[in-house]
Amino acid sequence: MLTILQLALNGLALGAAYALVALGFVLVLNATGAVNFAQGDLVMAGGYAAAALATALPVPGLALLPIVMGAMALLGIAVSALAYFPLMRRPATAVFVSTIAIGLVLQNAALSLFGPEPRTAPPIWDSEPIRWGGLTLSHQALAVIAVAALLVCGQGWLLARTRLGRSLRATAQDREMAAALGIPIHAMVALSFALAAALAGAAGALLANQFFVTPTAGGALILKAYIAVVIGGWGSLAGAVMGALLVGLFETVVAAEVSYTAASALLYAALLLILLVRPQGLFGEAAGRRA
Amino acid sequence: MTLAAPPPSPRRSLGDDAFWAVLLLTLMLYACTLASPYELRVLTLAGCQALLVLGYQFIFGHAGALSLAQGAFFGLGAYATAILGTRYHWGFAATFPLSILTPLALSAVVALPVLRLASHYFALATLGLAQVALLLVVNAGDWTGGALGLTGVPGIALLGAAVPRGLPLAAVVWAVVAAGAWLSWRLTHGLTGTAYVVLRSDALAASATGLPQTRLRFCAFLLSAAYAGAAGALQAHTLGVVSSETLEFSVMVACLAMTVIGGSTRIAGALLGALLLTYLPEWLRFLQGYALLAYGVALLAMIILAPEGLAGILGRALAGRRRAAGLPPAAPVRLTGSRAATLEVRGLTKRFGGVLALDRVDLIIEPGEILGLIGPNGSGKTTLANVISGLVTPDAGAMRLGSRGLRGLSAEKIARAGIARGFQTPALPPSLSTLELVALARASAAGRIGFLASLLGRDSGERRRRFEAEALDLLGRVGLASEAERPCATLPPGLAGRVELARMLALDPGLIILDEPAAGLGEREQAELGATLREIAGRGIALLVIEHNMPFLLPTAHRIVVLDQGRVIAKGKPAEIRRDPAVIAAYLGRERLPA
Repeated sequence: MLTILQLALNGLALGAAYALVALGFVLVLNATGAVNFAQGDLVMAGGYAAAALATALPVPGLALLPIVMGAMALLGIAVSALAYFPLMRRPATAVFVSTIAIGLVLQNAALSLFGPEPRTAPPIWDSEPIRWGGLTLSHQALAVIAVAALLVCGQGWLLARTRLGRSLRATAQDREMAAALGIPIHAMVALSFALAAALAGAAGALLANQFFVTPTAGGALILKAYIAVVIGGWGSLAGAVMGALLVGLFETVVAAEVSYTAASALLYAALLLILLVRPQGLFGEAAGRRA
Repeated sequence: MTLAAPPPSPRRSLGDDAFWAVLLLTLMLYACTLASPYELRVLTLAGCQALLVLGYQFIFGHAGALSLAQGAFFGLGAYATAILGTRYHWGFAATFPLSILTPLALSAVVALPVLRLASHYFALATLGLAQVALLLVVNAGDWTGGALGLTGVPGIALLGAAVPRGLPLAAVVWAVVAAGAWLSWRLTHGLTGTAYVVLRSDALAASATGLPQTRLRFCAFLLSAAYAGAAGALQAHTLGVVSSETLEFSVMVACLAMTVIGGSTRIAGALLGALLLTYLPEWLRFLQGYALLAYGVALLAMIILAPEGLAGILGRALAGRRRAAGLPPAAPVRLTGSRAATLEVRGLTKRFGGVLALDRVDLIIEPGEILGLIGPNGSGKTTLANVISGLVTPDAGAMRLGSRGLRGLSAEKIARAGIARGFQTPALPPSLSTLELVALARASAAGRIGFLASLLGRDSGERRRRFEAEALDLLGRVGLASEAERPCATLPPGLAGRVELARMLALDPGLIILDEPAAGLGEREQAELGATLREIAGRGIALLVIEHNMPFLLPTAHRIVVLDQGRVIAKGKPAEIRRDPAVIAAYLGRERLPA
């Protein structure tokens, strides 16, 4: 029972980090109709940024998080300028390829700068784990869940309640109509990339303490986040978060009970099955028109 | 139909021939005289990559779908060769075909669910497939040697004699590359290659041209897998070892980079990309860790600055010398109306959310009849056209063309049953000339689009000239003979609509559906269009014409059906409709219909 609770906590923490990646994915896809294949590598970049900052600034991870997210937002804008805007009028596959190229650049930049050894970021909140009966609650897992929940809610608030959020959603829904209404659609697209990269950076900083970060760590993440979005459906943020939590829980529990390989293989098989049977997602509304 | 002998087909330019001659001679000279054993090995590996890229061009370049499973198919071919060679000691004559068949079989199995998916769904589904393959190989250690892989893969033996590594092996591998390149050229240089241009530019245009889209995508996917299997097998023989690295994403990314940098549809592109990116890391050794970084930057730069790749740049530089083929004389096409049959629609109902777009619509169109469909905006006219042409699935009701039920058929199958469709905003592929487009539709109607037809040369050379001659005749009938060489992208809306009409006629349809064909036409052009439609109907072809323009429609149509809020509120001869009080109330707000 206790182990199950502990596993569930770890699974939720992992799922919470996946949720941040998945949200960034959905943001960019809705804004541009194209998948950002560098999203996983942006997570990796966020992990390295946190690790590198920690050696210069000996403060808790929580204090580093805003700096990492700010830097990553700038990187996100750079990604949009290089990989999206020059290819706006070309088929979506061109953007797939350009973001794959960005991912390749990020991976090899990280390899050249930091070497192939795994690095670790500082914990969000450094203290002894809480012991409660026989249950050990790691601060890190709780902190990851709390920070991710805060960011997800912040994102939800931004999109649902603010003028900026409405402009973002209008751009995603019908770009020509949004432009006709005087919304600066290019700025909105760049902002979507910035937000997506900031969320990916946060996920990277959160994950890099428990799981380490290596230059090629992003590759598996993109599929996991995609699976989360496919489970949740493309239209809804809540769906993507639910999907991410499910993926995190499933992966943690199956990895502990059977093996990590079995967990991954089953997840990929599930992806193929869902795409086959219900491509609009399990909880989903209709798939996005431009997708 | 009688035909004058078509003039000779266009010849490839001198530039092309010179390019091939120079490239081949350079490679042979280098291989025979300059290369060390190490360099020969690199050259051989470049050949394996060239074959991999030639295959990838089918699905990524021609079909325009980002498959991320090409690396997995490559690895599968390599493992098939390694396992059969090391464990069962089978010879090349058995392992090579099996290494091609294994990924081919896998691609055929997964194609069914996966190929239906578009855009990123397809990309990520194939990525998932590749990840499953990698996990299986690493974990089936008994068979595959796990993460360490298999060593001691035997070399190639041909006709009982072992092919030594070095120059002979390089020659064998490059001979296979040459065969692969020839096959690829054969399959894509005719109208089937043009069909892929339409397929990847616009799905609606592809369906309106009558192209067998599913089959084209399916064949491209299978061919890419087969080439990848052959490439993997040859690499296994060359290296003598196979490890799980063959299945990693980096192989896929390298293949993608070679294809994009070299050029995604030209054979020269596959060779240039593979040679360049195999040799570049050798030349860039001084960059050390930064070499792969440069790789990524080059990929990004090419996709932005030169989407046609190096081969595209080279092709344009040499194109100046290409000889113009000239137009063939028009060959008269007899519109047989042989597929004309009565279209019968019963109780057709379609809901969008809470809106009843079609409410138990009944409709009959006889062969040779022009049926006008009118109604206020939002009355369901275009929805009805979309349902009949299979673009929208109805919630209830029946549709038959002659004795054949249409409900539940895909748009592609309905088009092949003889229903041709025009759109309010014409769906034309921008880069094709009007002649190419109509010739393509003609070839498509004759069943000459596909890899079997192109392998047999039924979509190229003299036969292509014949389709072009017929297309010229059809363009002449809609008054576009002088615009035959004009790219579709540059046509004004009025002319674009006429190209659509010529394309529909090319499909030898039984029923033609037109959505506001008179929009934007002057009075004289409207009269011409009316006469053309009457003439088409005179051949036994039925027409369903959606139109707001009464002065055009009333004298043109034989009968009129009026829709309002998804319901048929009146039907009858134009003169009756003009006097019908319900129509006047619903449609014109109590004014009289114009005469």
